[in-house]
Amino acid sequence: MKLELLKGSRSRVLAGCLLAVAALFVVRLFYIQIIQHDYYQQLADSEQIKRLTIPAQRGMIYALNGNQPVPLVMNETVYTLFADPATVKDVQGIINTVESVAGGNARSNLDKLLTTPNSRYQILATKLTTAQAEAIKKKGLAGIGFQQESQRVYPEGSLAAQTLGFVDADGNGEYGIEQGMDSALKGKDGMLQSVTDIASVPLTIGSRNVKKPAQNGENVVLTIDRNIQSYVEDALSRQLQKIGAPDGSVIVMNPQNGQVMAMANYPSYDPSTFNTVTDASLFNNNVISLPYEPGSDIKTFTMATGVDTGVVNAQSTYNNTGVINVDGIDIHNAPGDTQFGNITLQTAMNWSLNTGYVTVAERLGGAGQDINLKARQTMYDYFYNRFRLGQLTGIQLAGELPGIIIPPSDPDGNAVRYSNMAFGQGLDVTMLQVASGFSSLVNGGKYYKPSIVAGSVDDYGNYHAAKPTTPTTYIKSSTADQIREMTHVARSSVFPGIDKSGYYMGGKTGTSQAIVNGKYSDTDTIATYLGYGGSQAETKYVIMVRVSGPKFGGSGAAAAMPVFTDISNWLVRYLNIPPQE
Amino acid sequence: MISFGGPRLDEPAATRRHRPDYILIVYVLILMALGAITIFAVGPQHANLLNNAIGSNYSNDYFFIKQITSLGLSLVAFVVAAIIPYKLFLRYSGTLLVIGLAACLLLFLAQLGHLGIAQCTLGACRWFNLGPLGSLQPAEILKFGLLVYLAAFLGAKMQKDNVSDVKQTLLPVAWVTGLGLLFLAVIQKDLGTAISMTLIVLVMLVVSGVRWRILGIVLGAGLLLGLVFIVSEPHRLQRVETYLQGDKASTSSASNYQSQNAKIALGTGWWLGLGVGNSIQATGYLPEAINDSVFAIMGEMFGFVGVSLIIVLFVALLMRILRIMDHLVDQRLKLLAAGVFGWFGAHVILNIAAMIGVIPLTGITLPLLSFGGTSMLFITAGIGLVFQLSGYTTYSPSVKEATNEDSHSRRGIGRTRYASRRGA
Repeated sequence: MKLELLKGSRSRVLAGCLLAVAALFVVRLFYIQIIQHDYYQQLADSEQIKRLTIPAQRGMIYALNGNQPVPLVMNETVYTLFADPATVKDVQGIINTVESVAGGNARSNLDKLLTTPNSRYQILATKLTTAQAEAIKKKGLAGIGFQQESQRVYPEGSLAAQTLGFVDADGNGEYGIEQGMDSALKGKDGMLQSVTDIASVPLTIGSRNVKKPAQNGENVVLTIDRNIQSYVEDALSRQLQKIGAPDGSVIVMNPQNGQVMAMANYPSYDPSTFNTVTDASLFNNNVISLPYEPGSDIKTFTMATGVDTGVVNAQSTYNNTGVINVDGIDIHNAPGDTQFGNITLQTAMNWSLNTGYVTVAERLGGAGQDINLKARQTMYDYFYNRFRLGQLTGIQLAGELPGIIIPPSDPDGNAVRYSNMAFGQGLDVTMLQVASGFSSLVNGGKYYKPSIVAGSVDDYGNYHAAKPTTPTTYIKSSTADQIREMTHVARSSVFPGIDKSGYYMGGKTGTSQAIVNGKYSDTDTIATYLGYGGSQAETKYVIMVRVSGPKFGGSGAAAAMPVFTDISNWLVRYLNIPPQE
Repeated sequence: MISFGGPRLDEPAATRRHRPDYILIVYVLILMALGAITIFAVGPQHANLLNNAIGSNYSNDYFFIKQITSLGLSLVAFVVAAIIPYKLFLRYSGTLLVIGLAACLLLFLAQLGHLGIAQCTLGACRWFNLGPLGSLQPAEILKFGLLVYLAAFLGAKMQKDNVSDVKQTLLPVAWVTGLGLLFLAVIQKDLGTAISMTLIVLVMLVVSGVRWRILGIVLGAGLLLGLVFIVSEPHRLQRVETYLQGDKASTSSASNYQSQNAKIALGTGWWLGLGVGNSIQATGYLPEAINDSVFAIMGEMFGFVGVSLIIVLFVALLMRILRIMDHLVDQRLKLLAAGVFGWFGAHVILNIAAMIGVIPLTGITLPLLSFGGTSMLFITAGIGLVFQLSGYTTYSPSVKEATNEDSHSRRGIGRTRYASRRGA
């Protein structure tokens, strides 16, 4: 029968088709899997391998409590709660849980957020604590997730706010030590190069994963003593509120190593709520960021220049007529001058007579009547190169400004300017520069570069002090000793009895007029006091106080000195300096 | 014109039943085991993926357990199809076809009535949603019904020797097939299943001995019809465009995504693969990792050597069915075996060809390996039926002696028992 004969051939056609297709498949598979393997492996890698960042933990910031570090800035893990509306099942359950647990951290329109169409990500609450996040997690609600974030917390509140700075929303340090040592505090983010699933969750499959662990940021210990800082802030705000002055700063330094023990500004802010501050000038640390005309404090430097070059000493005399003419311009003493005639430079220091220090400047050039080029070059050398005024100190804080001292080579660096500079006008310096330079005048002539970093705390909590800075000697120690004594005399003779007895303090007032509309103003003054304290054998601290502001006409003696005295008398006890008979 | 009562014919002299071909079962079990291993390996990743994407709450072993359940049910179907006498299938072939068509019609009505029982995606309803029992694809019932019906119908025509008669044979076949295509391709918009059904019919026509010239015309008409279907649906056209872009198509466009990622899965497998459980593409890169794309995932895990062996297994199973078909005397049984061959073969070829980028994606499962119930259930039942038929084979000395119809329908001449042929 015909059909029967066909039987074999038809099934052979099917078998042939099947084998042909199978052969084609195997050849094609060989092409894809073997020949094109590298090509597809490359496609796979670009699709499957992702680089994930392992965030480094930002370093903590410590202050000193005596010799022990105490935290000023810590990290806290907070959680952002988000929802994927597409996978949310129990809208009301989520609303109830979030509102009861997260409270004020929750967004107000949860209902709308959770039912947003075509959305896969809605933030429901921010800054949840670990406990809150755990409580929400425990409910096992579908469609919600947490993102972990780290934020700064300040156990001491607004203490040393301008010195600390803050960390912005992008994790960058702003102002203060946070910006100044940003990269050290940040550490180095690690990297995980990993095969991941489609949601970028790393998989442990394969050997292509590379892991570079994060290097956590350095835990920085500041030289700030938390107790001194706290007392200084209180003392400053007490005085400012008392006299109604709007603005002030204080720096306390250890002249024996250049370390800043306290640095305070008023008004201040709370770094934990930095984003609510409307006046950004509150962030500025005016001790380092506000160059000003220092006024009579500078007479100590002029005197030191004269003594160190050997042209004058404390007992050198000159004829005070209340006025001195420089290049046709009369320079007067401040009102109230009574010390006319042949007086010593010590007297001129005591009564802060401008004429005395213009005279010192003149004598720097030899026995002339003019502040000649040699005099100006000498002054510039001492002010700029040795006392390091008008240039950045290099302290580890952000926002330091250099100020300016005009060199004699500049057409503006003429005799008139240098005569003004002799008593603190015509130059812009910062308090930190003045306090650091002054430290070298009261510690035997050693200039220490000012520092705010005392050391670091390692991962195990051990404190490692930084290497002490080596000082540079720019002036003779005899010069320094003479200035130290002159300022002691100036303070104790004019303001007797205000210091605790048994200690050795000294200081110099400064009252400079602020320049308003290009002219020196008598109603806008910058009142300063620059002083030191300790025993006769050794100066333990240098304190500089500045009180200023618009429509403020106070003097250094009246406005700034009380703050010095307040801090100084407290400090001798805090530092356990033994009194001497 | 179409007799749904089933053609009544004189039964040819029955061949005595002998030991069926257990090798079939061996192949089926090996393939099932490989599929189960694959789903065991990537099921947790798939569960995780779905849990994240749609907020479901599948456990890690959910898909594996479900697959084992499906495999168990499929084996039951195998046994049932192997036990129920084939004569019953043939006698009620028309009823089976009507059940298949009715199921499709019911689904269509449920779709029109927006009833929950109709499970729809993107406007196409292809499944009955049976709640906790899972889902049922009526197209599979229809394929099975059509297969059995055509076996009986064409078998009868063969005996009357008018299988190539346009009016008596081909037009009725065209009508029934057309009706099926109306449901599958037009209403359910399931071109893949429609193509596989067409291939079943085509293979049965080939085996039934329809003249080649007529088959050529049928094939041409089928291709033309397929082209119309492709052009009529934008997403099908897109798949074809993707296909025409070849291997260099990028993964960034949505339409290329699955096809390209299937090739990435295969390509990274290299010679021996990444190993069981080490599939990366299954973590979400390759859609349908445990269903339609399981072959690509196996290529990633088992490599070129592994998937080539799987192809060899499939070919061996299909050749086994052909061999059984060759040795069946009753034309209707021959056609039943041919239908199952076409069914199984169409699924294997359409699925693998799409995965390796030889044809556009069709959305057809890989039999015995893919995760899924209905399709595997009915295909395994089909093989179960062939298993039953393998007990009725006749190994006559030569087809050349086929002048006497009775001579090969009995045993006793030479090696008639299948068992004695083992190893030959």
